[in-house]
Amino acid sequence: SLVIRGEKDEQAVLCSKDKTYDMKIADTSNMLLFIPGCKTPEQLNADQASCNIIHSQIAGFSNNYWELRRCRPKLKKLRKLLMEDPYEGPDSQKDQTSTFSKYTTEDLLSLIQASEEEILHQLQVIDACKIEGYWRILEFDYEMKLLNHVTQLIDSESWSLSKVPLRTCLEELGSLEPTEMIEHILLSYGRKYIDDAGEVYFEMHEDKICRAIARMLLQNAVKFNLSEFQEVWQQSVPEGMTARLDQLKGLALVDKTSRPETIFLLKVEDLPEDNQERFNSLFSIREKWTEVDITPYIQDLCAEKQTVGALLTKYARSSMQNGVRVYNSRRPIS
Amino acid sequence: EAASLTRREGAGGLAQWVLVELQGEVEPRESGGLAGSLLGDLHYTREGIPVLIVGHHILYGKVVQLEKPFAVLVKQGAGEPGPTGPHTHYTVTALIKTKLLFKTRPKPIITNVPKKV
Repeated sequence: SLVIRGEKDEQAVLCSKDKTYDMKIADTSNMLLFIPGCKTPEQLNADQASCNIIHSQIAGFSNNYWELRRCRPKLKKLRKLLMEDPYEGPDSQKDQTSTFSKYTTEDLLSLIQASEEEILHQLQVIDACKIEGYWRILEFDYEMKLLNHVTQLIDSESWSLSKVPLRTCLEELGSLEPTEMIEHILLSYGRKYIDDAGEVYFEMHEDKICRAIARMLLQNAVKFNLSEFQEVWQQSVPEGMTARLDQLKGLALVDKTSRPETIFLLKVEDLPEDNQERFNSLFSIREKWTEVDITPYIQDLCAEKQTVGALLTKYARSSMQNGVRVYNSRRPIS
Repeated sequence: EAASLTRREGAGGLAQWVLVELQGEVEPRESGGLAGSLLGDLHYTREGIPVLIVGHHILYGKVVQLEKPFAVLVKQGAGEPGPTGPHTHYTVTALIKTKLLFKTRPKPIITNVPKKV
């Protein structure tokens, strides 16, 4: 079955099990009459026997109808709700108190304008976990604390980054943190697999780990000297991992026009969800963008089969600057 | 807040209705509203062209297979807000895949025109 979702201040959407559709009222100046049992010429031809008058009732009439158009699920609210009360660990005082601002799957289904599958998929993407029946996002510092436990253990045990044993992690770290949290951090930052002997291992995501460490470094200042940052960053990542700027797409932006070059935190998930508002926001941060720089910040706006190029054509104006194509706003930005 | 839509129960699947689309408005001959009044007669020519006779006007139309079919929804009870689950419910009662579109100007039917006065 289908569900229509939305709060009073939101535009209604219709959701199937795995898709979301915008709902609009379409008006027509024509009159639409609906007639149950009215026969079409084909149906009458087939039914040669009757040449009698068929009395049909018009069930009703209308000047408008609801129209559906497939749309992106409206998932920004999901992160917003879960960030109301991020999980800070078992030692935190906060959790003892109320269940206010904590959401079960049912709660989310009634508050988020998206299909169930789209919501569950997004929960996985943002590394949410269920604690006592409620979906929680980890507070970033706590998340990094957990990650650090794991990377230090990998280092001291000299494990290969692609073969981190679950069992040993739980044994060694179980006294420091809840076992569910240790397993959760391994699932968030690694790919789980089972070897021939039936043992569970994780292949760690180098890019994701380096990215998280970069975020930790960048969030403490407005911007950084790029080369200094790169040095500190490489020293901070686990042994055997290479920190690369392309790992930071959608997380940080390099300013190549400043002397020296600088880098600052800009997270795509902090930007508006609406297309026009997103572009306005990006153009107020930087007047002219290259396609390479802007793509990570508009990729998620693409509808099914829509390209970044199509979005740029619609929402931006292009020009050449020093032989490079750049994009700026179509309208003045205050 | 949510409202749910389900298909109507019952044998034989959903009913198939037909849409008739008219340009302009239909007005009752006398005051008192449209309900219960006769709209007119619908015929098909041998070629399958729909012909509608309304009052003393005749309209020619065409049969159109809808690219986007319609679903007819019937609202079931406004319902009180409950702690879980949708409060409002719509039943999908019928589908409409065909419409008879009448967009030519209605022609008055003149029955007796004397050749000579």
